[in-house]
Amino acid sequence: MHIDAGGQTHVGRVRQNNEDDYRIESSLELYVLSDGIGGEEQGEVASALAVETVVAHCQEAQNHHATPLFVEPRADVSERTNRLISAATLANRKIFDSAASQPDVHMGATIVAAWLQDERLSLVHVGDSRAYLLRGGTFEQLTADHSLVAEQVRRGVLTPQEAETSQLQSVLIRALGSQEQVEVDADEHILLEGDTLLLCSDGLTRMVTDPEIASTLTTTEPSQAAAERLVELSNEYGGLDNVTVIVVRVLPDEHGFLDRLRRWSRRARAARDKQSLRGS
Amino acid sequence: MARLLLKFDSAVLKEIPLGTRPVTIGRAPDNEMAIDNLAVSNYHARIYSEAGRLVIEDLNSLNGTFVNDMRVERTTLRDGDMVQVGKHQIQVDVSHVAALPVNAWRKAPAPKVDETMVLDTHERRELLRQAVVAGERSQLSPTRMRVPTLSVLAGRTSQSEYMLSGKLTVIGRSEMATVRLRGWFAPRVAAQIHKREDGYYLGLGDRVPKINGLPIAGATALHDGDIIEIGRLRLHFSYRD
Repeated sequence: MHIDAGGQTHVGRVRQNNEDDYRIESSLELYVLSDGIGGEEQGEVASALAVETVVAHCQEAQNHHATPLFVEPRADVSERTNRLISAATLANRKIFDSAASQPDVHMGATIVAAWLQDERLSLVHVGDSRAYLLRGGTFEQLTADHSLVAEQVRRGVLTPQEAETSQLQSVLIRALGSQEQVEVDADEHILLEGDTLLLCSDGLTRMVTDPEIASTLTTTEPSQAAAERLVELSNEYGGLDNVTVIVVRVLPDEHGFLDRLRRWSRRARAARDKQSLRGS
Repeated sequence: MARLLLKFDSAVLKEIPLGTRPVTIGRAPDNEMAIDNLAVSNYHARIYSEAGRLVIEDLNSLNGTFVNDMRVERTTLRDGDMVQVGKHQIQVDVSHVAALPVNAWRKAPAPKVDETMVLDTHERRELLRQAVVAGERSQLSPTRMRVPTLSVLAGRTSQSEYMLSGKLTVIGRSEMATVRLRGWFAPRVAAQIHKREDGYYLGLGDRVPKINGLPIAGATALHDGDIIEIGRLRLHFSYRD
């Protein structure tokens, strides 16, 4: 398998500043996206610091395996995922310290970061920037927003429909830089050939519906074009917020007899399974 | 009008309007919703409203009460929830009633995008107070305390039993696999099991796994006792005490 990744960010049609930031670090297969929060230009500072810190920490760990973790390692996730948790925790600390060192400065940022090691995906996030996985016909959100409305839905106080019209949509209950400590959500998945991973800021999902996102991802190649098209769509629908997307596609290696044989046998098996499903 | 629909095999057997009185569910004929089936206890569960919310409570039934496939003792019900009692389902339909107590938060249409803010811990606690009251009892499922286990019924694997402890469990020949398959032609990643907030899900690998004989289309929830099949490999998923 090999990876085709693309990204795009845009200020939108209403705001003056773009407080989003992202990085595609192809040499590491590391993808990082952040949405900054804060007055003046502090949101931009915070998101840039978040992205920069996460990439630098992962890069350093890649070069020097003895690079210490900034957190107690969790037992239920891999070393790689722990490294990514460490990176996000470090970013939290840097933003927090930076804000604390200046009077009257409040800033924060979301983070969503994906790191691939072969087919194994490590995913961390804080805030309401999201990761989605498009696999076959299924488009699924992999992250749970740390927003007040999402929390209310999880606790059964609001329905998802009510959440969409809530006035409190922009209230986050977790972000990088708002507290000295932060809890980073972490997850792992195995990616399969044909999968598309999407990282995005809330500027995309508030303007463009899930089915439209999924169909754009399905019909637009390569990943860079899909990322640009999604940003365009968000702006066509009003562009009320900054919008940033990263599209990461897992493609089959075209050459190699074994790969072709494997793909052929997978298709045959899928057809047979479908048959047996119909028969039962 | 809010109502409960008693169903069997998707056929609606009975419709009970929800008023102020609790609805009792059970095999005994004096229940509001009497279900004549041996899988149902005499007084199995009851549904009542409390502080504007709809609550279901299991009355120590033998076979348990399930909401959206999770075993519950007491939890809040929401529109569209599916309650399973024995072999019958009870669908919750409150779509015509504003049952939720947070009116103040829902009156005005949302300003779609405004300045993002982060709640500090104090504000957050205050705003979530109400949510916590509503949600506390829905942190349910005694299965959570129990250890999810895969037992190998057939196939060549590294162990005969695996306790699932990580977020991700890979089944395959790959060196990162927990359930390590032996043999030259075993797939690198046959399937993956993923831990989520509400339980464990079986996902696709290079193969399409089956649960209880049916191929899965995408990530599918695993239930106590499910049989997973991938080629010749057969695994039994269960929660152990």
